[in-house]
Parts: sequence; structure tokens; C-alpha cells
Amino acid sequence: MELINNLSTGFGIALTPANLGFALAGCLIGTLIGVLPGIGPIATIAMLLPLTFHLEPVSGLIMLAGIFYGAQYGGSTTAILVNLPGETSSVVTCIDGHQMARQGRAGSALAIAALGSFFAGTVSTAVIAMFAPPLAKVGQSFGAPEYFSLLVLGLVAAVVLAHGSVIKAIAMIILGLLFGLVGTDGQTAGERFTFGITQLADGIDFAVLAIGIFGLGEIIANLAQPEHSRSILMEKIARLWPTREDFRRAWPASLRGTALGSLLGVLPGGGATLSSFAAYVLEKKVARDPSRFGRGAVEGVAGPESANNAGAQTSFIPMLTLGIPGNAVMALMIGAMMIHGIQPGPQVMTERPTLFWGMVASMWIGNLMLLVINLPLIGMWVQLLKVPYRFLYLSILLFCAIGVYTIGNSPFAVLLAAFFGVLGYIFMRLECEPAPMILGFVLGPLMEDNLRRAMRISGGDPMIFVQRPISLGLLVAAAILLVIVALPAIRSKREEAFQES
Amino acid sequence: MTTGPAAQHPALRIVRRKNVLAGLMFIGVAALGLWVSRTYPVGTAIRMGTGYMPRLLCWILMGLGAIVLVQGLRDADAPRSPASIPARLWPIVVVTASLIAFGLTLERLGLVIAILLLIGIGSLAARGLKPWEAAAAAAGLILLSWAIFIAGLGLVIPVWPDW
Repeated sequence: MELINNLSTGFGIALTPANLGFALAGCLIGTLIGVLPGIGPIATIAMLLPLTFHLEPVSGLIMLAGIFYGAQYGGSTTAILVNLPGETSSVVTCIDGHQMARQGRAGSALAIAALGSFFAGTVSTAVIAMFAPPLAKVGQSFGAPEYFSLLVLGLVAAVVLAHGSVIKAIAMIILGLLFGLVGTDGQTAGERFTFGITQLADGIDFAVLAIGIFGLGEIIANLAQPEHSRSILMEKIARLWPTREDFRRAWPASLRGTALGSLLGVLPGGGATLSSFAAYVLEKKVARDPSRFGRGAVEGVAGPESANNAGAQTSFIPMLTLGIPGNAVMALMIGAMMIHGIQPGPQVMTERPTLFWGMVASMWIGNLMLLVINLPLIGMWVQLLKVPYRFLYLSILLFCAIGVYTIGNSPFAVLLAAFFGVLGYIFMRLECEPAPMILGFVLGPLMEDNLRRAMRISGGDPMIFVQRPISLGLLVAAAILLVIVALPAIRSKREEAFQES
Repeated sequence: MTTGPAAQHPALRIVRRKNVLAGLMFIGVAALGLWVSRTYPVGTAIRMGTGYMPRLLCWILMGLGAIVLVQGLRDADAPRSPASIPARLWPIVVVTASLIAFGLTLERLGLVIAILLLIGIGSLAARGLKPWEAAAAAAGLILLSWAIFIAGLGLVIPVWPDW
């Protein structure tokens, strides 16, 4: 059994004391930021990128992955207890989860959320282990034209599934591609957009861009907003274990959520948030009595909570097997790999099996850790909500500054990050999503490289992209997606799906 | 979203629409890119020069920016950016200034002074932060950063000024 062999290799890596420690650290940090509103997983992973530079690649990735799914857990805790979604992926959990808490069923809601998440995490880890190898095989057979078309499809799909204006999202991708061009052109050695600044000759560092846009931009946005008064009505958690009735209603919802989340997570642009929204809509549709929703229906917690965790996990599949990030967090993971000199793509699995399977195994371990550490520590996490933002803000600002400096021991990087921070804030104010820009930035160099190679194969004839069947199929799929999203009926449905809350 | 004062000039009110501003931003960046890359050799599709991709992308961006701009002009109910500009400008100024101070002093004056500057300037934007709280935060953060980055990760950052 190849699968068993691979998994035992993976557990061998993931169960070393050091890696267990990093998984635990990631889960704890993730839960922490999941609980705290005002700082999201993207900003945190961006801030910690420079730290992972000093770790083994697999340890760094294990920790970053732990932060990602830890944040889903933490986000739902505050959603249920104080009606504050710590993350966008737990927005829908507020609806029924907090109602349950008000009815004195907080413990039951928390336990259902945690058990559903763990179940979803287990299933989706198995999905990754089973489906990643064959997908990577497909990826390895791709030539430059196919790869270019695949990247186009990935970017288009990311736009379609992002919220907000499609045109703006495409413009943001182009902007990201342009930022990716800054520096010395690898092929012709000509400098592009360096404005005569020598520090820009090597290009813009990915971590600097990400910390600036997400970390610093978020800080400025939070400071510019009046502080929300967070009234913490801590309900006493009477009993943690759900009733038999809750279990009976929750397990089918959890199954449906897991299936839906696993599917939506794989799609480019999908992931945790989309999965949780879709799962809530689905639960409402299949329920015999939809009017119970919004009044503390346990399915409204079990479905979305399972779905967001499943989606968070399976979004690793395209990233690990094809080197294509489906969302901003995966783009950051790709950035983390590149920091270590690992070129993401289908070859990762064959050339670095310990990295790949170690990560997969650590995902399951991380989910188990979250289940064990989270339920007993809920009281402590909620206390953290009382930390005022003025302290958080200064700490985040400082860690961004030091983190950016340590990437290349360069004071210039701090100034560059400040510039991107202002830019990130402007994007937020103008409702321009920064996530597509990050995707464009990461994929840009890859796209240009494959475009150039394809052009050299064909002798400058762009028809090569439609003459190769696989490439043509991918481009047609991308075109269909764009047409579909332009249709008015679909457009309104799409907006509806993102405004369920 | 707040709406501006009624007496505001109509042209200004149009410009404050988010899509109009976003469109202008995209067009501006594209124009800047085209101007900067005007000397880059473009080459041919087989042998793409340094300027091939930059110029292609700038033209696409300009087209998309124009679409966003037109959308903004046509949609009178579009969301506007809020009126009180100075209140929103302050955090930008403070955050940027604190980072610039940190970046410029870290290597010359050391970690302790750079952190003091960052916290000192940064606390100007922290609502309700009392002076003793800022001092406590600075002390705690200096210790923490020293523990993580210098003692823990062994990074070579000067701690004190190099006399």
C-alpha cells in the first residue's frame, strides 16, 4: 500500500518533538488571532513569514498551516459566545451559534462546532492524501503552454469566486502582475520599474508586500475606525456535552458540510469562507422546518463549521500538487516555500516527499490538538477579548517592522512595507480586494516564464495555446467562467451568496 | 457610509465615488508604468524584450481602469468615500512616520532606541493610551523582541547605539 507507506513517512516527520512543538505553536497562535477581531489569518501568516525563514522548511509550513486552521476554530468560539466573528469564515456561525448560547446551550454549540471541525479535518486530510498524488501526476505531464493556460484558469476562477466587482478584481490581478515585474528581468537582464533604487533591483520581496498590504493596511484601517465597544456577555457554560437530540440533528449536517467544504475548497478562489456560507444555505434548503434557522438550529452550526474546516484543508490540494494558490493564504504558503528555495509545483511531491507527507500528517495532528486544547481553554480565550486594541496595535506594528527588517537585514524593506501599508489601506477604502493582487504577484513570474517558453516552442505563434488540446480545454473553461459571471442572473445570485449574513 | 455636506461642489461629489477613485487610480498607475517603461526594449513575441510584458500589462490595466471609471460615473448611487478626510489621514501619517523612524534608526542607534521611537510615534494614533501605558508597552515589547529575535533566533541586530 503506497498510501500507508507515504502516510507513515509523513507521521514520522510530523511526530518529531520539534515539529509537534511547531504544530502546537501554530495552533495556539491561530486560535489566538481567530479569537481576536481586527487581525486575521492572512495578516498573521504574513507577519510570521520572516520567522519561518529561520526554521526548517517543513517546520515552517507546519506552523503556518496550524495558524490557518487554528484561526477557523478560534473564530467560531467568539462567534458563538459573544456574537463576534473572529474570522470571515465564521460569520454565519454567529447566526445560530450565538442564539444557542443565549438559550443556555453554549457548551453544546461549542462542542458541536469543535467535533464537526475535527471530523471534517480528518476526512479532508484523507482526501488530500488520496487525491493529491494522481493530480500531481497530471500536473507533471504539462508543458509550458498547458501550464500557462492552467495559470490563466486559476486566476480567472479566483476572480469569479472572489466577492466584489469582477472588473476591479481583474485590475487588481494585473496590478499584482506589474508589482511582480519590478526588478531585474531574468531573461534580458534589463531593469524594470526600479526607479533607480538599487534595493529594488532584486525585485519586491513577497513577505514585504504581504506584510505591508495585509498587516499594516489592516492596522491603519482599524485605527481609522471608531473602536467597537466589545461588551462581553460571558454566558456560563453549563454543560459541554451536547444532548442526544443535538447529536441526532448535527451529524448529518456535519457530513453534508464536510462534503461541500471539501469540494469547494479545491476550487480556485474557494476555501473556508465560501464553504461556510454555502453550507449554511444548503442546511436551510434541506431542513424540514427552515424557520428554526436563526433561532438556534444546531445544523446551522454543525454544517458551516464542518465546511469551513474542510474547505480550509482541501484548499491545500491545488497549492501542493500544481503550485497554484486558490486563495490569499495559499499564496502566502507558496511565498513561504519560495523563501526556502522550493519551487512549488507537481515536482514537490516526488522531490520532497518528506515535506509533502509531513505536512499532510501534521494537519491531522493539528486538528486533534485543537480539539484537545480548545474546549478546556475556552474561558481563557474569551478573556483575551478584553485586551484593548491600543496594546495590540503597538505590538502588531512593532512585529511587522522587525519582521520586515529581518527578511534581508534591510532598513529599506521597512520603508517599502510602509508604502504598501498605505496602499493596502487605500485598496480597502476603494473596495479593491487585495487578495487577487497577491495571487497575481505570486503567479506573475511563473506566467511570464511559461509564456516565453511556449512562444519559443511555437516560434512566436500564439495559436499554440489553442492547438494543444489540454491547453485549449483549460482556456475554454476560463472563458466559460468569465461569460457565466457576466450574465446578469448569475451575477445577482453571486452577490446574494456573499451577503447571506 | 456617510454622505458629504450638501454644499459640496457637484464635481467633487462625483470624484468621491469609490469606483471613480478606483478607476482613476488604475489609470494613473498604468500611465505611470507606460511612462517609466517608454525606454524599455519591447522585442518581438518570440524574443520578448524587457518592456514586452510591462507595456502589455499597463495597456490592459488602463482599459480596465477606464471601465471602472465609467461604471463609477454612470452609477449615481455608488458608495462614496467618507467625508472626514483629516481624521482618516492621521493614522496613515502616524503609522508611516513610526515605520520610517524605525527603519532609519535601527542600524545606527540600535533596537532599544528604534523601538522607543516606533512606540512613541505610534502611540499618537492609539486612542485612550495613557503615557504610563505606552511606557509599559515599550518596556515589555523591548524585552519580548530581544528575547525572540536576538536571544531566540540569534539575529544580528545592534541593541545599543554604536558609539
